[in-house]
Amino acid sequence: MEKNLPKHFDGKEAIKHVTENYAKGIIASSEIHGAEIPGAIFSAADAAKESSIAFLIIWACLTAINVKMPQILIVLASFSLAWIFWKSGRAAFLGWSRLKRLHRIAAQEKFEIEHNRTQERDELTALYEAKGFQGKLLTDVIDVLMSDGDLLLRVMLEEELGLSLEVHEHPLKQAFGAFLGASLSLLCCALCYFFFPQIGPVIASFSIVGLASFISAKYEQNDLIHAIVWNLGLLSVSFGFAYFLIQYLKT
Amino acid sequence: MSTIIETNEAKKPILFDEFFELGQEDTESPFLIESSRKWGANLTLKSSILAAFFLILSFVISFFPVHLPISHLLLIAVYFLAGVPALIEAIEDLSLFDINIDILMTLAAFSSVLIGSGMEGGLLLVLFSLSGSMEDAVSSKAKSAISSLHKLSPTKATVIEDDGTHIERSIKDIAVGTIILVKASQVVPLDGIVIGGISSVNLVHLTGESLPLSKTVGDEVPAGARNLEGALAVQVMKIMADSTLAKIIELVTEAQEAKPKLQRFFDKFSGKYAVSIIALSGFFAFTFPYLFNIPFLGYEGSLYRALSFLIAASPCALIIAIPIAYLSAVSICAKKGILIKGGVTLDAIANCKILALDKTGTLTTGQLEVISVVALDGKSVVDEAIAIAYALEKNAVHPIAIAITSYAQNLGILASEIQNFYEIPGQGLSATLPNKALCFIGRPQFIATKLESAKAKELLEQTATFMQKGELVACLTIDQTPYIFSFQDNLRPDMKNAIDELKTKQHLKIVMLTGDHEQSAKRIADSLGIDNYFADLTPENKLDLVTKLSENQGLAMVGDGVNDAPALARASVGICMGKVGSTTAVDAADVVLLHDNIEYLNWLFQKSHQTKKVVKQNLIIALSAIFIASIPALGGYIPLWVAVVMHEGGTVLVGLNALRLLRK
Repeated sequence: MEKNLPKHFDGKEAIKHVTENYAKGIIASSEIHGAEIPGAIFSAADAAKESSIAFLIIWACLTAINVKMPQILIVLASFSLAWIFWKSGRAAFLGWSRLKRLHRIAAQEKFEIEHNRTQERDELTALYEAKGFQGKLLTDVIDVLMSDGDLLLRVMLEEELGLSLEVHEHPLKQAFGAFLGASLSLLCCALCYFFFPQIGPVIASFSIVGLASFISAKYEQNDLIHAIVWNLGLLSVSFGFAYFLIQYLKT
Repeated sequence: MSTIIETNEAKKPILFDEFFELGQEDTESPFLIESSRKWGANLTLKSSILAAFFLILSFVISFFPVHLPISHLLLIAVYFLAGVPALIEAIEDLSLFDINIDILMTLAAFSSVLIGSGMEGGLLLVLFSLSGSMEDAVSSKAKSAISSLHKLSPTKATVIEDDGTHIERSIKDIAVGTIILVKASQVVPLDGIVIGGISSVNLVHLTGESLPLSKTVGDEVPAGARNLEGALAVQVMKIMADSTLAKIIELVTEAQEAKPKLQRFFDKFSGKYAVSIIALSGFFAFTFPYLFNIPFLGYEGSLYRALSFLIAASPCALIIAIPIAYLSAVSICAKKGILIKGGVTLDAIANCKILALDKTGTLTTGQLEVISVVALDGKSVVDEAIAIAYALEKNAVHPIAIAITSYAQNLGILASEIQNFYEIPGQGLSATLPNKALCFIGRPQFIATKLESAKAKELLEQTATFMQKGELVACLTIDQTPYIFSFQDNLRPDMKNAIDELKTKQHLKIVMLTGDHEQSAKRIADSLGIDNYFADLTPENKLDLVTKLSENQGLAMVGDGVNDAPALARASVGICMGKVGSTTAVDAADVVLLHDNIEYLNWLFQKSHQTKKVVKQNLIIALSAIFIASIPALGGYIPLWVAVVMHEGGTVLVGLNALRLLRK
């Protein structure tokens, strides 16, 4: 029964090779329309955007009601530290929530595979029939997949449930990204305000939101111009809303 | 696209089984990028240490009134890092109506903020969190025991289909009666009967028997046995859930769960303590205004006094009294090369009255040594026989082959020239000498088939004599001249002294347990002065015996193989040899002798008795501190800060007392 397997199969039976590559192909093709952005960078970009917007709005409100610069600095510094903590903690919490949900789904699928093997085999057969496998080839593919618990769970998670493995960052790394993003963004805004009290925060916020939108869009392979302009537009509306409303309300 | 595939293949494969067996830890999560998983390592410990650091900073800064808000800010961080997890756990316990010491601690810590003693509450939370992270570290080690057993068990088998084709299937899908192929060096996946082929299998992981057994058509082979030579066609007799290996996994799991621990008593006590203190605090708060005519609110009020009582009675010293003593003892043991999983093990060691020792690999080195080579006719030259045996066995990995090779090398004998070498799986080896003489080496029964009937009969009689003395034998025949090689397993050096010390100084009853045959067991027991020994034991027999012996008194079991794992897990204390021990045995044991330093057992028993004494002293100090601090605080005779100082004084005292254990 032993035979010389072609090098191309890397020491495996042909059918196993085909099955594994088929699974890999599906994963790769599913990522063509946008590789998932690394969690830490996304957290950093998102935290930077939100922090600069919040800074700008608070500064606008305080300036509009004639609070003096030293008081504004105290308020903004206190707000910044609290905000950094909130953004980092929140990023970690959201990351853990998502991770726990994924673990729960994987545990559920593992239970199904171990306790309802006939049904899982039927599901797998249907899945591969739909992909064009037929007859003995189909039976062989299913046999190979069913023989390896790890491979089977992986295939079911990826193909049946559409989950991606090994793509998420650890929640703490995401939190660290958020911490860096928020800290750098608020530091830039504060420095700009200190040196250019009249216009500094506006320039800093618009620059940060533009840069963060550019980084996110670049990683997500989205249209850069759309991303930057939409985000700057949203910032303008939010800032304008706070600025003009407070002018109106104080009269 | 090709780059993606190459990168994926170079990476460590995702192992879901490991992830689930280790409790779905972040560090094993298949959803996280591999390089990112390390962020999740030892999180409880890291956050506890960070909380302790913030608490110290907050305490120091609190002495400078100008910076008091910063001190409070840091204290909030302490409550966040150490308090939130405790609060969640307390609320979950409360929802199950399980009132325990965790709830008392959390309640006391958070209540302390209400009466302006947030720092003391923070200290409670940090100590609580540190002791919790130590528990986590111990329990994660226990989880890996089952994981390593699963790794030993194959997950798939090669099925021979009706048309002769081979296909791999999960062993979960294989029914009784299916025919499977077990190739050389593979582990038998399911219990079955050999229906084709001939080979030797090694059962050392299952039974402790170090000599491989020959298997041919009609013989039974258990799951977990390693096939050494030829391929075997095996008809499956039991499904996965009923296989020998699955049974061992089940035995280890049951034994770990059934294990009696001092912790159980402490948990029970702490639950009652918590309920009593919480109930008393509530009682004092609501009855004092009527009984003693004092107000309910305010610094002189009953609520304030009840909360002071709750904080003063919180078992701060009590909580560290036991762990710190064990931690000191565990550290000094680690310096001596003795790894102890969890401090309570030391208490269990001190209570042991019986020491059960496995033979192969524990009392002996587990390596065979040639002790004699004799010619059956008593005349032929044995040096020539050794040279030919060396030539035949020098490339084999069988324990007997290794012993013969090393014996010849020590004697400076060179291997003879041989031709037409071939292996008869499960039986022996054969070759032709330059003078055309045929030579065979192997089991006595196999060699007997190559001899004339009179010589064959005499050979079998002679080998039986050796075996009665507890020795193993292999035979060689050169052109109808037979030779007998006898072997025995060596004792570890200084074993006799170590056993004598354990008997005389620790007054332990020594028992030897082995899967080997009676004669071999008797020889070892006699040479070590061990009066009680049990031979021919299966893993189930060992487990039953250990359970029976440990029914009325503590029993420490020393072992090394997978076959010892259930007994190690069930014994009051399982002690495993770290160097030679299988991963499963190491995981199932409570104590690991990292350098196989069995001669330190006497020192270990001494240290455990000393630790038990210190733990008792610490408990007395801690309970006294609670009593002295809480009663005057309740009566309003001393201000809260004095009560807290007295209370913390107890904590310092138990800490210093425990440090005495660090002395060698």
